[in-house]
Amino acid sequence: MTNLTSEQVNQLANQFLAISNEIEKFLEINESTLSDQEKQKLDDLEIAILNDANKLFSLSASLVMSDVQTSLATINKVTSSIKSTYKTLQDIQKAINVATAVVTLTSAIISQNPQAIVTSTTGLADAWNN
Amino acid sequence: MKPFIQKTTTTALILISLVLSSCINLKHVNDFSTSAISSLSKFEDINYSFKQSCLDDCRDKNVNSLVIKDSVCNCDIDSKADSVTLLIYQSLKGYFDGLGKLSDKELTNYKTDALKQALVNGSFGTITIDRTQANAYSNLSNIILKAFTDKYRQNKIKEYITTANDPVKVLIHYLDLNMSNNLAGKLNVKKSLIKKSYEKLMKDSTINYADKWKFTNDYYTRLDEIDSRLTQLMTYSKALKKISEGHQLLFNEIDKITAEDLKEELTCFSGDLQNIISEFNKLKK
Repeated sequence: MTNLTSEQVNQLANQFLAISNEIEKFLEINESTLSDQEKQKLDDLEIAILNDANKLFSLSASLVMSDVQTSLATINKVTSSIKSTYKTLQDIQKAINVATAVVTLTSAIISQNPQAIVTSTTGLADAWNN
Repeated sequence: MKPFIQKTTTTALILISLVLSSCINLKHVNDFSTSAISSLSKFEDINYSFKQSCLDDCRDKNVNSLVIKDSVCNCDIDSKADSVTLLIYQSLKGYFDGLGKLSDKELTNYKTDALKQALVNGSFGTITIDRTQANAYSNLSNIILKAFTDKYRQNKIKEYITTANDPVKVLIHYLDLNMSNNLAGKLNVKKSLIKKSYEKLMKDSTINYADKWKFTNDYYTRLDEIDSRLTQLMTYSKALKKISEGHQLLFNEIDKITAEDLKEELTCFSGDLQNIISEFNKLKK
């Protein structure tokens, strides 16, 4: 016999809940005609079914894992690819920033200005690292 | 220089016409993703879990039995249920967060002013670049850059939406199952059980009127609390269904991702999601 799926267990849980509601309705309608013993028995039965329904809802939720593993793997892979594409597009700005720093450094070297060379070398390092 | 400028201008004109004809504006994708994230994140405001439900049940059992003890509640299955639910939520959130960032127009709004300034202000021996030339080349290069990066981005987004659609639907379905069916189911069970407990108290003839009055009041307070949580879960379920429908729409119209009809429809979905978020926020108060 194959194991039940999360949806099958969920259906069972809802059916148990529906049964317990029917017992409650029966008790309310037949309050005056049932003996104390009968009422107690039905009460206990209703509570037992409710507790089982409770456990089944939890079980159903925990079984979901086997139904979603493949989808989780796919979505996580797509998200990883999205991050990679995003970084590629961000890197273009970085490349522009580095190019700017290179141009500034080139100009400083050509002008033979030591202070400007030092400043623009730092600028290039910052652009590269950010 | 003149033939070079002519060649560059011709290339740019071809690219400009390509850009204008495919007008890549993904604002509607960005808006939808942003709304999807905002509504998905309401998960964190729900403040109830399978484990919490299990601990509450344990406590109620002890109270009903008039037992005071250091009992250890076995909530392993409920903890597992919470882990699975959280995993699904985080996975969906990560995807829509990424989609939102990738479709943000600012991503390909490259800033080249500093480069332009460096070219104009720098001295390169005998070569001088005047401002007009720098502006012209900067504008051309921006258009070319945006044409390529936007087209690249659009193609990538299409690819991601196509791959992700089925798994997104599956994950949303099971997140919804756990929240609006399984967790809500446990709340409905709780409602029935506390009703039975209070009914038993009401039938006890040794309890005086004043105490019965308090118990009755207490019962309705607890009922209101449970109903409030149930309403939160149902509202969250509405949002999940909308997100799924919106993503399906994107998938169905993937080849018309910049079409006006799709933009309008997706804007409606974003609007609906914003309304559901407002509805949810009112419930929290």
